[in-house]
Amino acid sequence: MKPRIITRKQLSELLDRLAQEVCLYAPVRDRTGTSWAKISRADEVCLEAVNTVEPAKGFVFPRCEVLLRFDPQGNPVEPEPPPEQVVFGIRPCDARGIAFLVKFYTQEGRTDPYVKARRQKTTLIGVACSRTAPTCFCLGVGGSPQGSEGLDLLLVDLGDELLAEPVTDKGEKLVADLPAAGEKHLTAAAEQKKKVEAEISLRIDTGRLRELLPGLYESGVWQALALTCVNCGACTFLCPTCHCFDVTDETIRGRTVRCRVWDSCQFTLYSRHASGHNPRLDPASRYRNRIMDKFYYTVEQAGMVSCVGCGRCIISCPAGIDIRQTVRKVQDAK
Amino acid sequence: MDRSEKLRQRARELLEKKEVVMVIGFGPPSDSGISPVLFATTPEEAENLTASTSCAQNLANYLLKVRDRGRVAVVARGCDARSITVLLQENQLKRENLHILGIGCEGVIENGRKSTACAVCRHPNPTIYDELIGEPVPAPEPDPEILKADQEFEQLSPDERWERLSAELDRCIRCYACRQVCPNCYCPVCFVDASMPQLLGRTHNLSDNMVYHIIRALHMAGRCVECGACHRACPVGIDLMRFNRRVAKTVRERFGCDAGTDLNQAPALTGFKPDDPQEFIQ
Ligand code: SF4
Ligand code: SF4
Ligand code: SF4
Ligand code: SF4
Repeated sequence: MKPRIITRKQLSELLDRLAQEVCLYAPVRDRTGTSWAKISRADEVCLEAVNTVEPAKGFVFPRCEVLLRFDPQGNPVEPEPPPEQVVFGIRPCDARGIAFLVKFYTQEGRTDPYVKARRQKTTLIGVACSRTAPTCFCLGVGGSPQGSEGLDLLLVDLGDELLAEPVTDKGEKLVADLPAAGEKHLTAAAEQKKKVEAEISLRIDTGRLRELLPGLYESGVWQALALTCVNCGACTFLCPTCHCFDVTDETIRGRTVRCRVWDSCQFTLYSRHASGHNPRLDPASRYRNRIMDKFYYTVEQAGMVSCVGCGRCIISCPAGIDIRQTVRKVQDAK
Repeated sequence: MDRSEKLRQRARELLEKKEVVMVIGFGPPSDSGISPVLFATTPEEAENLTASTSCAQNLANYLLKVRDRGRVAVVARGCDARSITVLLQENQLKRENLHILGIGCEGVIENGRKSTACAVCRHPNPTIYDELIGEPVPAPEPDPEILKADQEFEQLSPDERWERLSAELDRCIRCYACRQVCPNCYCPVCFVDASMPQLLGRTHNLSDNMVYHIIRALHMAGRCVECGACHRACPVGIDLMRFNRRVAKTVRERFGCDAGTDLNQAPALTGFKPDDPQEFIQ
């Protein structure tokens, strides 16, 4: 698929049109930074922050997914299928997060129909990062500020114009009528990539982690690391790849629904058995689980480290814990 | 010698002389701008202790985690000390197991601004300590904007207040970070985690969010020291301090009790006084 060129004006027109036709979501400015919101006009978009406070995972894996409704007689009714939606302004790390979720949830033999259906109905338009935050480390975990994995279309801001690289047919359809990018556009994008990537200095060797972690299960390092953690779960709720859920029956506005809601391995309730026994009651074992999951379990299960380096857990941690430092300390542990 | 250096020196001494097994304080800020909590068990580890405006957590919370380890020293600003007092009053800590390194506080700076709790702080100096590191600091001039907004909120009708509360709490994602960072939220099983039978729904709908926050507010009445840890921890920026300040003010006005400022005065809701105002029960 050929990279194209789109002017700012054309992009605004495209977004205005999409807002008319489908549900269009984009980052908008709010009190704490930028958050995802449904927009009706291009000029509501705010791409100033490096990343949104909350990840984009909710577009394929909502915080509360209604699985079944019950009619007044108690008969189950299938929920409405998800609506057609376009997400604009997603950063490459977040897009990789969605790629991970889709990979994890649509594996051979255990495909989750809800995530699958939502991804099919969603078009993801990414915007490459032209600057980074000190908490960004996508490059250290296999991503890039200009990465396109998980996206349908990637835009690279070149000033008056943007380079538009279609990744899937869905993306191609959006830009098919635009002129092809020239040599100078491609060079400008490549230069930007080099410049922005150079801003991210921190690397972590995730391959080594995969080898190290199983042997460190009983290590005292977790006790030491977890002392600072208060098991609040903010890091897991804000992580673009954390994917655990609980299923619950509730009455919402007088109607009974069965839904699944996000859960977190940091909560005690998460691992409590029906018998009352809790194999992961110790805070350190919960902290360990999160790190093992990111760098070992999901690598075994889905072939991918499930940290995309967005840095949200670092920003949101009330205790000032930095996952990069955790990784370093784990690597140094005996 | 600046405060941080003095603090390090005392921490080293305490550890060297084995007067304590651990010193709890803060380390240098990480990339997020927040100082992680530092648990120094050797004089060398104490070298990294820092006293600065990037120390966002209430350290009393960590005392509960290490209360079985023996005598520990803890760095305590005004609000840490008040929380420690509440925990002592509630028999959660043993005074003889604590060495409190009191320190005057200049407030927490968050995203370049003084944190909302610190901007109206009434007790920057520790109310209880074994030794004071450096000089006491003057209480800051309260931020007029915050006071004004509080007053406006107070003057709304109950319906309008409810609406405000609803709009704010509708955004809560129920991650419970606010509960986890609070030293005075320490029930072994929180009512929101009671699952046999389940007391509270787990979806993020407004009525359940409300129940969580209202019950938490009631549990914290007379015990909340207004440190703002919950407010800073909230990943979606819910203005929890607006409500906490309101509750604390009511308790001060009705019961003459300012949480954690007087070890000998029981928290408002745990005591009984024949002259308690109870005009709402007729
Ligand atoms: S956000 Fe920080 S304190 Fe909370 S669970 Fe995660 S690592 Fe622990
Ligand atoms: S673990 Fe942290 S840095 Fe990695 S993807 Fe999750 S939130 Fe982002
Ligand atoms: S981690 Fe990388 S892709 Fe994500 S916001 Fe930062 S620079 Fe962009
Ligand atoms: S920290 Fe914020 S989002 Fe999380 S439960 Fe508390 S108020 Fe809700």
